[in-house]
Amino acid sequence: MANEDISAALSAEDQDLIEKAYEALGGSAEGVAPSDVDFDMIENGGPDAPQKSKWQRWKENFKRRGWILVFILPALIYVIIFCYVPMYGILAAFQDYMPGDPIIGSETQWVGWDNFKTFFSNPNFPNYFVNTFLLCILGFIVGFPLPIIVALLLNSVRPKKVKKGLQILYYAPHFISLVVLVGMMKFMFGSDGLLDNLSKNLGGGGVDLFLKEGAFRPLFIFSGNWQDFGWSAIIYLAALSGVDPALHEAAKVDGASRFRRIFSVDLPAILPTIVMLMILSVGNLMSCGYEKVLLMQTDGNIEKSEILSTYVYNFGLIGGQYGLGTAAGLFNSVINVALLVIANFTSKKLSGNSMW
Amino acid sequence: MKKAIIGITAAVIWLVCVIAFAVASADTKGSEHQFTVLAVKEDSVMNYNTMPVFQQLAEDTGIEVNWTYNTSAQYSNNIDPVGTKGIDAIYHSGFSNLKLYDYGRRGRIVAIDQYLDSMPNFSKILKDRPDIKQALISPDGHIYSLPRVEEMGLKSYPNILYLNKKWVEKLMDEGGLPALTEPLTKDDLKDGLVLYRKDFKAILQAFKDNSYIGDSNKVPLSFVNGNWQGNVSDLIASFGVPENRDHKTIVNGKVVFTIEDEKWFNAVKELQDWYSRGLIGSSAFSQTDNEFLARGQDGRYGAFYWWEKDTVLAKDIRDDYIIVEPLKDDDGKQYVGVSNELEIEKGECVILDACQDKKGLLSYFDKFFEPEYSAQLNYGSIKSGAFLSGKVNGKLVPNDDHGVQSADDFRMKNAPYGVVYLTAEVWEKSVEMESRAKLRLENLENYVKPFTFEGATPIPNLNYSQEDLITLNTYESSLANNIASWFTKAITGGAVPSEDSWKSLLDTNRASIDAVLQLNQKAYDSYVAAIAD
Repeated sequence: MANEDISAALSAEDQDLIEKAYEALGGSAEGVAPSDVDFDMIENGGPDAPQKSKWQRWKENFKRRGWILVFILPALIYVIIFCYVPMYGILAAFQDYMPGDPIIGSETQWVGWDNFKTFFSNPNFPNYFVNTFLLCILGFIVGFPLPIIVALLLNSVRPKKVKKGLQILYYAPHFISLVVLVGMMKFMFGSDGLLDNLSKNLGGGGVDLFLKEGAFRPLFIFSGNWQDFGWSAIIYLAALSGVDPALHEAAKVDGASRFRRIFSVDLPAILPTIVMLMILSVGNLMSCGYEKVLLMQTDGNIEKSEILSTYVYNFGLIGGQYGLGTAAGLFNSVINVALLVIANFTSKKLSGNSMW
Repeated sequence: MKKAIIGITAAVIWLVCVIAFAVASADTKGSEHQFTVLAVKEDSVMNYNTMPVFQQLAEDTGIEVNWTYNTSAQYSNNIDPVGTKGIDAIYHSGFSNLKLYDYGRRGRIVAIDQYLDSMPNFSKILKDRPDIKQALISPDGHIYSLPRVEEMGLKSYPNILYLNKKWVEKLMDEGGLPALTEPLTKDDLKDGLVLYRKDFKAILQAFKDNSYIGDSNKVPLSFVNGNWQGNVSDLIASFGVPENRDHKTIVNGKVVFTIEDEKWFNAVKELQDWYSRGLIGSSAFSQTDNEFLARGQDGRYGAFYWWEKDTVLAKDIRDDYIIVEPLKDDDGKQYVGVSNELEIEKGECVILDACQDKKGLLSYFDKFFEPEYSAQLNYGSIKSGAFLSGKVNGKLVPNDDHGVQSADDFRMKNAPYGVVYLTAEVWEKSVEMESRAKLRLENLENYVKPFTFEGATPIPNLNYSQEDLITLNTYESSLANNIASWFTKAITGGAVPSEDSWKSLLDTNRASIDAVLQLNQKAYDSYVAAIAD
């Protein structure tokens, strides 16, 4: 498009601004497309203009483009209603609460920090804490790099059909329900299961991995990863598909091997995605779901398998001590938030990538 | 095209929402004054509204009750059943002591003791039976629920040891029976067999070693660890400790933990040996009761502990199994402990504060305590054939013949259970026991009860202050977890448990053990004092 056409399309006011800008930059209007213009600076009357306060600038900005905010309104309302409003429920952590009691009202029975005291004075509390931490952190160490490796490898597979086939094969287990998954594990590793019968028929004493507390974490983590590594790889594959083929071409011309290209082209390209997902998963580090843990729990492994979320379930929901359950859940969330902040800060310092 | 599809989808979603809302709001109207009671009931159980016993009750009292239901799965997801709109009471509420008290002191469920004037049966029970009154009282002195009382004397002994007679005979025939301290003949193989524990072990070992007994599926000894019935307590008790599944009992008025006894530790060591030899199936520590029952049907157990044998075994192999008395200790003595399963259960039925006519509804439930109604609620209506039509010697006689249906299936379908009052007196005067129950009682009298550990009694329903209840809740559950975990690991862990590991179990849980014992003892002492008054 010629500059004349663009100028015609702009309002008189804007044109004025552009002229001003060119003058300020000390150049001429020739050959400069409107997209190269820093409107904010122009609106402020160029670098030499008297500085307007931030507030004034914001006000002017709002007047001109404030209506765009309407677009984020539905999302904002949704988040407020469904994420922030229900949060008043955490007040139950400081109450002797029964369902049906008003959270804030004359009948509310406030107990201060009593629920937390009861929770921390539970003789098994240190054990629950360590169990939760170890289960989650080990799960993270094994489970975080796995989908990245899988995605990088899948991305290097050349025949498209093979690539698609493998991808489906990898993420299909994601759709198995937890109960069925644990059932399958019991058939394989439980009593009278595959391993047990194999060992008995070979003259051994039989093995039930569900009774061995040392086997709980490996079973939990590896079954979880087996189920989800393909699914989690999808997001990295999407990021990889955005890599400019020209970069690969160039690397090839320079004689880079396929392996070299993974490290020098693919990996740097998806690094921001990796960092972002890492921050997010660190924020969820202490929140393993209780469902699978409960399904896998036996008297034999309970010393390793009783975690904070099963405690919340057993005391809060089953035992009817809702305040105590909420207190334990709140404690867990506070740790999660702290971890999230630390992870974000560290990543900002080290790689420049961060959530905020 | 795309836009059209999106538009249609949006329209459909809107329509569904609007209709759903309309239907939901139409549902809430139309409540005449009539009692509505929420019952926790499985779909397989008959509709209470058409059950003859409830129709008879309605005729008798002139009070109409409309029953609505939650299945137990729905009910457990219902976080606030007391807040359910439009109901007056919850039947089979299953509330714990703490929940009853928590709802009660908020006034959300009714303190039933205020309405005793309109409950002649219930107030008579409370007067005659101070132990039942003690069991029902909450920390604030009120009674918030109606009880279930079924005193047959069965629950204290939830385990009987059964032995596969056919397998022993096979051993005899093939010459595989090891030398025993007291030699066995085929004539000895009948109910009430007495065996030394070491002989029993030798027999199990022979079951395991001889391939003509069965394939690798066979299980010399099975039970369900930690279950209320069919647990391994009696085997441990044979070492001379009054063991039950809580590891806690009363001996001569004193609350004790069995795990503190050296004999208990010896029993665990011995069990470890049995387990590592493959005499106890590994499934014993991980199976649920249903899995245990399913595995037992084809007769793969050499011996097992259970309530009775009929549910465990398929019909054609039931005669293959005989009752073994509690195993003899090396010094020739026999012991069993008593369980803490109680015959007085609270929390069966609660009345909500929302009920408009509490007196009326309670006078209705009061009828449940009459023997004739209790019997029908517990076994099924007379009209549907749960009892013979005529009374014999003034007693209701159960009908055992239900055609193709098993007695258990008939009862599960036809009996609502819940609030009943069937005491020793009722069994004597008004209702004949089921033949199955009579048989079990007979077996217990002959083969189990005589060997009860001297002075051992179950821990009754005790009352605690609110503070004590919460303390107890915290300590008891973590202690129970720790003991169960140590016990299972000690036996299945592959190494003989060391004395040190046992001592460290006791030491690390010392605070919990002492706190629980102290609170229990305090409550028990005041219970005894209250009963004596």
